[in-house]
Amino acid sequence: MTPTVEKTLLIAGIGMVGIFVFMTLFYLLIIALDRFLPYQEERATEELSEDSITDEEE
Amino acid sequence: MNTLLSLADNLSKFWSYTGFFNAEIGHIVMILIGLVFIYLAIKKEYEPLLLIPIGFGILIGNIPFNEAANLQVGIYEEGSVFNILYQGVVKGWYPPLIFLGIGAMTDFSALIANPKLILIGAAAQFGIFGAYIIALQMGFAPNEAGAIGIIGGADGPTAIFLTSKLAPHLLGAVAISAYSYMALVPVIQPPFMRMLTTPKERVIKMKTPRVVSQTEKIMFPIMGLLMTAFLVPSGLALLGMLFFGNLLKESGVTRRLAETARGPLVDTITILLGLTVGASTQATTFLRVESVKIFAIGALSFVIATCTGILFVKLMNLFLKKGDKINPLVGNAGVSAVPDAARISQTTGLEYDPSNYLLMHAMGPNVAGVIGSAVAAGIMLGFLY
Repeated sequence: MTPTVEKTLLIAGIGMVGIFVFMTLFYLLIIALDRFLPYQEERATEELSEDSITDEEE
Repeated sequence: MNTLLSLADNLSKFWSYTGFFNAEIGHIVMILIGLVFIYLAIKKEYEPLLLIPIGFGILIGNIPFNEAANLQVGIYEEGSVFNILYQGVVKGWYPPLIFLGIGAMTDFSALIANPKLILIGAAAQFGIFGAYIIALQMGFAPNEAGAIGIIGGADGPTAIFLTSKLAPHLLGAVAISAYSYMALVPVIQPPFMRMLTTPKERVIKMKTPRVVSQTEKIMFPIMGLLMTAFLVPSGLALLGMLFFGNLLKESGVTRRLAETARGPLVDTITILLGLTVGASTQATTFLRVESVKIFAIGALSFVIATCTGILFVKLMNLFLKKGDKINPLVGNAGVSAVPDAARISQTTGLEYDPSNYLLMHAMGPNVAGVIGSAVAAGIMLGFLY
Protein backbone atom coordinates (compact mmCIF):
# COMPACT_ATOMS: atom_id res chain seq x y z
CA MET A 1 0.00 0.00 0.00
CA THR A 2 1.53 3.31 -1.08
CA PRO A 3 1.71 6.26 1.35
CA THR A 4 -0.83 8.16 -0.80
CA VAL A 5 -3.35 5.33 -0.58
CA GLU A 6 -2.73 5.03 3.15
CA LYS A 7 -3.29 8.77 3.64
CA THR A 8 -6.41 8.66 1.45
CA LEU A 9 -7.95 5.85 3.44
CA LEU A 10 -6.98 7.52 6.69
CA ILE A 11 -8.68 10.81 5.74
CA ALA A 12 -11.75 8.98 4.42
CA GLY A 13 -11.91 6.81 7.55
CA ILE A 14 -11.47 9.69 9.97
CA GLY A 15 -13.93 11.75 7.93
CA MET A 16 -16.70 9.15 8.05
CA VAL A 17 -16.11 8.36 11.72
CA GLY A 18 -16.09 12.11 12.42
CA ILE A 19 -19.43 12.59 10.67
CA PHE A 20 -21.01 9.68 12.55
CA VAL A 21 -19.67 10.98 15.87
CA PHE A 22 -21.00 14.46 15.07
CA MET A 23 -24.40 13.13 14.02
CA THR A 24 -24.60 10.84 17.05
CA LEU A 25 -23.98 13.84 19.28
CA PHE A 26 -26.72 15.67 17.41
CA TYR A 27 -28.98 12.66 18.00
CA LEU A 28 -28.22 12.80 21.71
CA LEU A 29 -28.82 16.56 21.70
CA ILE A 30 -32.28 16.07 20.21
CA ILE A 31 -33.07 13.31 22.71
CA ALA A 32 -32.00 15.68 25.49
CA LEU A 33 -34.18 18.47 24.07
CA ASP A 34 -37.15 16.10 24.03
CA ARG A 35 -36.39 14.96 27.57
CA PHE A 36 -36.05 18.42 29.06
CA LEU A 37 -38.47 20.37 26.85
CA PRO A 38 -41.25 17.89 26.07
CA TYR A 39 -44.23 18.95 23.99
CA GLN A 40 -46.82 17.34 26.26
CA GLU A 41 -45.93 19.48 29.23
CA GLU A 42 -46.01 22.64 27.14
CA ARG A 43 -49.47 21.79 25.82
CA ALA A 44 -50.69 20.75 29.22
CA THR A 45 -49.55 24.08 30.66
CA GLU A 46 -51.25 25.95 27.83
CA GLU A 47 -54.44 23.98 28.36
CA LEU A 48 -54.27 24.69 32.08
CA SER A 49 -53.88 28.41 31.54
CA GLU A 50 -56.68 28.40 28.96
CA ASP A 51 -58.89 26.54 31.42
CA SER A 52 -58.11 28.99 34.18
CA ILE A 53 -58.92 31.92 31.88
CA THR A 54 -62.23 30.28 30.96
CA ASP A 55 -62.93 29.61 34.60
CA GLU A 56 -62.19 33.20 35.48
CA GLU A 57 -64.46 34.43 32.69
CA GLU A 58 -67.25 32.17 33.88
CA MET B 1 -8.86 57.77 -51.17
CA ASN B 2 -7.37 58.35 -47.74
CA THR B 3 -10.86 58.45 -46.24
CA LEU B 4 -11.69 55.12 -47.85
CA LEU B 5 -8.47 53.59 -46.55
CA SER B 6 -9.15 54.95 -43.08
CA LEU B 7 -12.70 53.59 -43.21
CA ALA B 8 -11.44 50.18 -44.32
CA ASP B 9 -8.85 50.24 -41.56
CA ASN B 10 -11.48 51.11 -38.97
CA LEU B 11 -13.84 48.45 -40.27
CA SER B 12 -11.03 45.90 -40.15
CA LYS B 13 -10.24 46.95 -36.58
CA PHE B 14 -13.91 46.76 -35.65
CA TRP B 15 -14.10 43.27 -37.21
CA SER B 16 -11.11 42.14 -35.15
CA TYR B 17 -13.00 43.13 -31.98
CA THR B 18 -16.15 41.17 -32.84
CA GLY B 19 -17.08 37.79 -31.49
CA PHE B 20 -17.31 36.40 -35.03
CA PHE B 21 -13.61 37.15 -35.63
CA ASN B 22 -12.44 35.78 -32.27
CA ALA B 23 -14.70 32.73 -32.12
CA GLU B 24 -13.11 29.32 -31.75
CA ILE B 25 -14.68 25.90 -31.75
CA GLY B 26 -14.47 25.81 -27.92
CA HIS B 27 -16.66 28.89 -27.63
CA ILE B 28 -19.29 27.35 -29.88
CA VAL B 29 -19.30 24.07 -27.91
CA MET B 30 -19.66 25.93 -24.60
CA ILE B 31 -22.45 28.11 -25.98
CA LEU B 32 -24.26 24.94 -27.06
CA ILE B 33 -23.81 23.52 -23.54
CA GLY B 34 -25.28 26.74 -22.11
CA LEU B 35 -28.25 26.45 -24.47
CA VAL B 36 -28.81 22.82 -23.39
CA PHE B 37 -28.93 23.97 -19.75
CA ILE B 38 -31.49 26.64 -20.60
CA TYR B 39 -33.50 24.11 -22.62
CA LEU B 40 -33.49 21.58 -19.74
CA ALA B 41 -34.54 24.29 -17.29
CA ILE B 42 -37.43 25.61 -19.40
CA LYS B 43 -38.65 22.51 -21.20
CA LYS B 44 -37.96 19.80 -18.59
CA GLU B 45 -38.10 22.11 -15.54
CA TYR B 46 -34.90 20.60 -14.12
CA GLU B 47 -33.83 22.99 -11.32
CA PRO B 48 -34.80 26.08 -13.41
CA LEU B 49 -33.84 28.53 -10.66
CA LEU B 50 -30.25 27.34 -10.97
CA LEU B 51 -29.91 26.07 -14.52
CA ILE B 52 -31.18 29.26 -16.15
CA PRO B 53 -28.64 31.55 -14.40
CA ILE B 54 -25.86 28.98 -14.94
CA GLY B 55 -26.84 28.36 -18.58
CA PHE B 56 -27.03 32.06 -19.33
CA GLY B 57 -23.77 32.58 -17.45
CA ILE B 58 -22.13 30.01 -19.74
CA LEU B 59 -23.31 32.07 -22.71
CA ILE B 60 -21.92 35.27 -21.17
CA GLY B 61 -18.61 33.65 -20.23
CA ASN B 62 -18.07 32.24 -23.68
CA ILE B 63 -18.75 35.23 -25.85
CA PRO B 64 -15.48 35.53 -27.77
CA PHE B 65 -13.70 38.87 -27.71
CA ASN B 66 -10.27 40.31 -28.30
CA GLU B 67 -8.59 39.75 -24.95
CA ALA B 68 -5.57 41.86 -25.92
CA ALA B 69 -7.83 44.89 -26.29
CA ASN B 70 -8.30 45.07 -22.49
CA LEU B 71 -12.02 45.66 -22.81
CA GLN B 72 -12.52 44.60 -19.17
CA VAL B 73 -15.58 42.50 -19.91
CA GLY B 74 -14.33 38.99 -19.12
CA ILE B 75 -14.91 37.36 -15.76
CA TYR B 76 -11.19 36.74 -15.29
CA GLU B 77 -10.21 40.35 -16.16
CA GLU B 78 -9.51 42.17 -12.93
CA GLY B 79 -11.87 45.07 -12.34
CA SER B 80 -14.55 43.99 -14.79
CA VAL B 81 -18.15 43.88 -13.56
CA PHE B 82 -18.31 40.11 -13.79
CA ASN B 83 -14.95 39.79 -12.06
CA ILE B 84 -16.24 41.85 -9.14
CA LEU B 85 -19.42 39.74 -8.92
CA TYR B 86 -17.28 36.58 -9.18
CA GLN B 87 -15.41 37.52 -5.99
CA GLY B 88 -18.36 36.19 -3.99
CA VAL B 89 -17.58 32.76 -5.43
CA VAL B 90 -13.79 33.04 -5.28
CA LYS B 91 -13.75 34.29 -1.69
CA GLY B 92 -16.52 31.88 -0.73
CA TRP B 93 -19.09 34.30 0.71
CA TYR B 94 -22.05 33.47 -1.55
CA PRO B 95 -22.50 29.89 -0.24
CA PRO B 96 -22.86 30.89 3.46
CA LEU B 97 -25.47 33.49 2.44
CA ILE B 98 -27.36 30.78 0.55
CA PHE B 99 -27.16 28.65 3.69
CA LEU B 100 -28.68 31.53 5.66
CA GLY B 101 -31.65 31.41 3.30
CA ILE B 102 -31.84 27.61 3.45
CA GLY B 103 -31.87 27.79 7.25
CA ALA B 104 -34.70 30.34 7.14
CA MET B 105 -36.81 28.05 4.98
CA THR B 106 -36.00 24.69 6.60
CA ASP B 107 -38.27 23.06 9.13
CA PHE B 108 -36.22 20.68 11.28
CA SER B 109 -39.35 19.24 12.95
CA ALA B 110 -39.16 15.95 11.05
CA LEU B 111 -35.62 15.45 12.28
CA ILE B 112 -36.36 16.50 15.86
CA ALA B 113 -39.42 14.23 15.95
CA ASN B 114 -37.48 11.15 14.83
CA PRO B 115 -33.80 11.84 15.61
CA LYS B 116 -32.50 8.44 14.54
CA LEU B 117 -33.08 9.59 10.95
CA ILE B 118 -30.09 11.90 11.37
CA LEU B 119 -27.81 8.87 11.07
CA ILE B 120 -29.04 8.29 7.51
CA GLY B 121 -27.79 11.77 6.69
CA ALA B 122 -24.40 10.66 8.00
CA ALA B 123 -24.36 7.36 6.06
CA ALA B 124 -25.07 9.09 2.76
CA GLN B 125 -21.83 11.04 3.14
CA PHE B 126 -20.01 7.87 2.08
CA GLY B 127 -20.68 9.32 -1.38
CA ILE B 128 -18.30 12.18 -0.61
CA PHE B 129 -15.48 10.07 0.75
CA GLY B 130 -16.02 7.32 -1.84
CA ALA B 131 -15.65 9.91 -4.60
CA TYR B 132 -12.62 11.37 -2.83
CA ILE B 133 -10.88 7.97 -2.89
CA ILE B 134 -11.81 7.38 -6.55
CA ALA B 135 -10.60 10.86 -7.55
CA LEU B 136 -7.24 10.28 -5.87
CA GLN B 137 -6.88 6.93 -7.61
CA MET B 138 -7.64 8.63 -10.94
CA GLY B 139 -4.63 10.89 -10.48
CA PHE B 140 -6.07 14.05 -8.97
CA ALA B 141 -4.07 15.83 -6.24
CA PRO B 142 -5.48 15.45 -2.69
CA ASN B 143 -6.92 18.99 -2.58
CA GLU B 144 -8.54 18.49 -6.02
CA ALA B 145 -9.91 15.09 -4.94
CA GLY B 146 -11.47 16.71 -1.87
CA ALA B 147 -13.19 19.31 -4.03
CA ILE B 148 -14.44 16.66 -6.45
CA GLY B 149 -15.58 14.36 -3.64
CA ILE B 150 -17.92 16.97 -2.21
CA ILE B 151 -20.10 16.63 -5.34
CA GLY B 152 -21.40 13.47 -3.63
CA GLY B 153 -23.00 15.61 -0.94
CA ALA B 154 -25.48 16.84 -3.58
CA ASP B 155 -25.18 20.34 -2.22
CA GLY B 156 -24.27 23.05 -4.72
CA PRO B 157 -23.32 25.85 -2.27
CA THR B 158 -21.18 23.45 -0.19
CA ALA B 159 -19.45 22.18 -3.33
CA ILE B 160 -18.71 25.74 -4.47
CA PHE B 161 -17.55 26.79 -1.00
CA LEU B 162 -15.12 23.89 -0.62
CA THR B 163 -13.83 24.04 -4.19
CA SER B 164 -13.19 27.79 -3.94
CA LYS B 165 -10.92 27.00 -0.99
CA LEU B 166 -9.26 23.77 -2.14
CA ALA B 167 -9.09 23.87 -5.93
CA PRO B 168 -10.42 27.13 -7.45
CA HIS B 169 -9.28 26.08 -10.93
CA LEU B 170 -11.87 23.25 -10.84
CA LEU B 171 -14.71 25.49 -9.70
CA GLY B 172 -16.60 25.53 -12.99
CA ALA B 173 -16.47 21.78 -13.57
CA VAL B 174 -17.32 20.89 -9.96
CA ALA B 175 -20.20 23.39 -9.73
CA ILE B 176 -21.70 22.40 -13.07
CA SER B 177 -21.33 18.72 -12.21
CA ALA B 178 -22.92 19.17 -8.76
CA TYR B 179 -25.88 21.17 -10.06
CA SER B 180 -26.38 18.91 -13.09
CA TYR B 181 -26.59 15.79 -10.96
CA MET B 182 -28.82 17.56 -8.42
CA ALA B 183 -31.17 18.30 -11.30
CA LEU B 184 -30.92 14.66 -12.38
CA VAL B 185 -31.65 13.22 -8.92
CA PRO B 186 -35.13 12.06 -10.10
CA VAL B 187 -33.41 10.09 -12.87
CA ILE B 188 -30.39 8.74 -10.96
CA GLN B 189 -31.91 7.59 -7.67
CA PRO B 190 -35.09 5.53 -8.36
CA PRO B 191 -33.41 2.59 -10.17
CA PHE B 192 -31.02 2.05 -7.24
CA MET B 193 -33.85 2.46 -4.73
CA ARG B 194 -35.76 -0.34 -6.46
CA MET B 195 -32.67 -2.49 -6.90
CA LEU B 196 -31.71 -2.43 -3.22
CA THR B 197 -35.13 -2.91 -1.62
CA THR B 198 -37.57 -5.83 -1.47
CA PRO B 199 -41.30 -5.41 -2.23
CA LYS B 200 -42.00 -6.00 1.49
CA GLU B 201 -39.58 -3.27 2.56
CA ARG B 202 -41.05 -0.72 0.13
CA VAL B 203 -44.46 -0.83 1.83
CA ILE B 204 -43.23 -0.39 5.41
CA LYS B 205 -45.43 2.21 7.08
CA MET B 206 -43.57 4.43 9.49
CA LYS B 207 -44.99 5.75 12.75
CA THR B 208 -46.56 9.22 12.62
CA PRO B 209 -43.94 11.65 13.92
CA ARG B 210 -44.59 13.23 17.31
CA VAL B 211 -45.45 16.92 17.61
CA VAL B 212 -42.41 19.11 18.22
CA SER B 213 -42.65 21.96 20.71
CA GLN B 214 -41.75 25.51 19.70
CA THR B 215 -39.17 25.61 22.48
CA GLU B 216 -37.40 22.59 20.96
CA LYS B 217 -37.45 24.27 17.55
CA ILE B 218 -35.85 27.40 19.03
CA MET B 219 -33.26 25.51 21.06
CA PHE B 220 -32.22 23.27 18.14
CA PRO B 221 -30.36 25.91 16.07
CA ILE B 222 -28.75 27.43 19.17
CA MET B 223 -27.49 24.10 20.46
CA GLY B 224 -26.61 23.05 16.91
CA LEU B 225 -24.46 26.14 16.42
CA LEU B 226 -22.64 25.63 19.71
CA MET B 227 -21.97 21.98 18.93
CA THR B 228 -20.74 22.81 15.42
CA ALA B 229 -18.55 25.65 16.62
CA PHE B 230 -16.85 23.51 19.22
CA LEU B 231 -16.57 20.26 17.25
CA VAL B 232 -15.98 21.30 13.63
CA PRO B 233 -14.98 24.98 13.62
CA SER B 234 -14.04 24.73 9.93
CA GLY B 235 -17.72 24.13 9.12
CA LEU B 236 -18.78 27.28 10.94
CA ALA B 237 -19.27 29.48 7.88
CA LEU B 238 -21.91 27.16 6.41
CA LEU B 239 -23.50 25.62 9.50
CA GLY B 240 -23.34 28.85 11.50
CA MET B 241 -25.36 30.63 8.83
CA LEU B 242 -27.73 27.66 8.43
CA PHE B 243 -28.59 27.66 12.12
CA PHE B 244 -28.75 31.46 12.25
CA GLY B 245 -31.29 31.45 9.42
CA ASN B 246 -33.25 28.74 11.21
CA LEU B 247 -33.34 30.72 14.45
CA LEU B 248 -34.68 33.74 12.52
CA LYS B 249 -37.47 31.47 11.30
CA GLU B 250 -38.29 29.70 14.55
CA SER B 251 -37.88 32.53 17.05
CA GLY B 252 -41.20 33.97 15.91
CA VAL B 253 -40.06 37.55 16.58
CA THR B 254 -37.87 38.13 13.50
CA ARG B 255 -40.36 37.32 10.78
CA ARG B 256 -39.20 40.19 8.55
CA LEU B 257 -35.58 39.08 8.73
CA ALA B 258 -36.52 35.46 8.07
CA GLU B 259 -38.63 36.47 5.08
CA THR B 260 -35.77 38.55 3.67
CA ALA B 261 -33.28 35.73 4.21
CA ARG B 262 -35.40 33.07 2.51
CA GLY B 263 -36.81 35.41 -0.13
CA PRO B 264 -35.05 38.40 -1.69
CA LEU B 265 -31.60 37.68 -0.21
CA VAL B 266 -31.37 34.04 -1.26
CA ASP B 267 -32.84 34.90 -4.68
CA THR B 268 -30.27 37.66 -5.24
CA ILE B 269 -27.37 35.44 -4.22
CA THR B 270 -28.70 32.55 -6.33
CA ILE B 271 -28.78 34.83 -9.38
CA LEU B 272 -25.24 36.11 -8.77
CA LEU B 273 -23.87 32.68 -7.90
CA GLY B 274 -25.45 30.91 -10.86
CA LEU B 275 -24.53 33.58 -13.35
CA THR B 276 -20.90 33.90 -12.27
CA VAL B 277 -20.32 30.16 -11.89
CA GLY B 278 -21.71 29.70 -15.39
CA ALA B 279 -19.56 32.53 -16.74
CA SER B 280 -16.46 31.02 -15.14
CA THR B 281 -16.79 27.86 -17.25
CA GLN B 282 -14.79 28.94 -20.25
CA ALA B 283 -13.74 26.60 -23.01
CA THR B 284 -10.04 26.76 -22.13
CA THR B 285 -10.62 25.70 -18.53
CA PHE B 286 -13.74 23.56 -18.95
CA LEU B 287 -13.35 21.52 -22.15
CA ARG B 288 -10.65 19.23 -20.79
CA VAL B 289 -10.28 15.56 -19.96
CA GLU B 290 -10.30 16.49 -16.25
CA SER B 291 -13.85 17.82 -16.60
CA VAL B 292 -15.01 14.53 -18.13
CA LYS B 293 -13.38 12.66 -15.23
CA ILE B 294 -15.04 15.01 -12.72
CA PHE B 295 -18.44 14.37 -14.31
CA ALA B 296 -17.87 10.61 -14.17
CA ILE B 297 -16.78 10.71 -10.52
CA GLY B 298 -19.72 13.01 -9.72
CA ALA B 299 -22.20 10.47 -11.12
CA LEU B 300 -20.53 7.68 -9.15
CA SER B 301 -20.61 9.72 -5.94
CA PHE B 302 -24.38 10.24 -6.28
CA VAL B 303 -24.87 6.51 -6.80
CA ILE B 304 -22.68 5.67 -3.77
CA ALA B 305 -24.52 8.21 -1.59
CA THR B 306 -27.92 6.84 -2.64
CA CYS B 307 -26.92 3.22 -2.10
CA THR B 308 -25.22 3.75 1.26
CA GLY B 309 -28.23 5.70 2.54
CA ILE B 310 -30.60 2.86 1.62
CA LEU B 311 -28.30 0.10 2.87
CA PHE B 312 -27.81 1.91 6.16
CA VAL B 313 -31.57 2.02 6.73
CA LYS B 314 -31.70 -1.73 6.10
CA LEU B 315 -28.91 -2.16 8.65
CA MET B 316 -30.76 0.01 11.18
CA ASN B 317 -33.93 -2.05 10.67
CA LEU B 318 -32.09 -5.15 11.89
CA PHE B 319 -31.88 -3.52 15.32
CA LEU B 320 -35.23 -1.71 15.44
CA LYS B 321 -38.46 -3.06 16.93
CA LYS B 322 -41.26 -3.99 14.51
CA GLY B 323 -43.29 -0.81 14.96
CA ASP B 324 -40.22 1.44 14.73
CA LYS B 325 -38.86 0.16 11.41
CA ILE B 326 -37.86 2.68 8.76
CA ASN B 327 -38.91 2.39 5.13
CA PRO B 328 -35.60 2.02 3.19
CA LEU B 329 -37.07 4.21 0.44
CA VAL B 330 -36.22 7.22 2.63
CA GLY B 331 -32.53 6.23 2.59
CA ASN B 332 -31.90 8.03 -0.69
CA ALA B 333 -32.90 11.29 1.01
CA GLY B 334 -29.68 11.28 3.04
CA VAL B 335 -28.15 13.39 0.27
CA SER B 336 -28.77 17.07 0.76
CA ALA B 337 -30.74 17.82 -2.39
CA VAL B 338 -33.63 19.39 -0.48
CA PRO B 339 -36.48 18.67 -1.02
CA ASP B 340 -36.01 16.81 -4.33
CA ALA B 341 -34.57 13.66 -2.78
CA ALA B 342 -37.40 13.54 -0.21
CA ARG B 343 -39.96 13.96 -2.99
CA ILE B 344 -38.45 10.96 -4.78
CA SER B 345 -38.89 8.85 -1.63
CA GLN B 346 -42.53 9.95 -1.61
CA THR B 347 -43.27 9.27 -5.29
CA THR B 348 -41.45 5.91 -5.29
CA GLY B 349 -43.22 4.87 -2.09
CA LEU B 350 -46.62 5.80 -3.52
CA GLU B 351 -45.96 3.56 -6.54
CA TYR B 352 -46.03 0.53 -4.24
CA ASP B 353 -48.62 1.69 -1.70
CA PRO B 354 -50.80 4.66 -2.66
CA SER B 355 -51.64 5.28 1.01
CA ASN B 356 -48.02 5.39 2.23
CA TYR B 357 -46.88 9.01 2.41
CA LEU B 358 -43.14 9.13 3.04
CA LEU B 359 -42.44 12.82 2.41
CA MET B 360 -42.53 13.92 6.05
CA HIS B 361 -40.32 10.99 7.10
CA ALA B 362 -37.87 11.58 4.24
CA MET B 363 -37.45 15.24 5.15
CA GLY B 364 -35.62 14.13 8.32
CA PRO B 365 -32.66 12.47 6.54
CA ASN B 366 -32.85 15.14 3.86
CA VAL B 367 -32.16 18.05 6.23
CA ALA B 368 -29.68 15.82 8.08
CA GLY B 369 -27.92 15.48 4.72
CA VAL B 370 -27.51 19.27 4.56
CA ILE B 371 -25.84 19.22 7.96
CA GLY B 372 -23.82 16.09 7.08
CA SER B 373 -22.41 17.46 3.83
CA ALA B 374 -21.44 20.74 5.53
CA VAL B 375 -19.70 18.78 8.29
CA ALA B 376 -17.92 16.68 5.63
CA ALA B 377 -16.82 19.91 3.91
CA GLY B 378 -15.53 21.19 7.24
CA ILE B 379 -13.57 17.96 7.80
CA MET B 380 -12.12 18.09 4.27
CA LEU B 381 -11.16 21.71 4.81
CA GLY B 382 -9.51 20.83 8.10
CA PHE B 383 -7.40 18.11 6.49
CA LEU B 384 -6.64 19.52 3.06
CA TYR B 385 -6.65 23.34 3.20
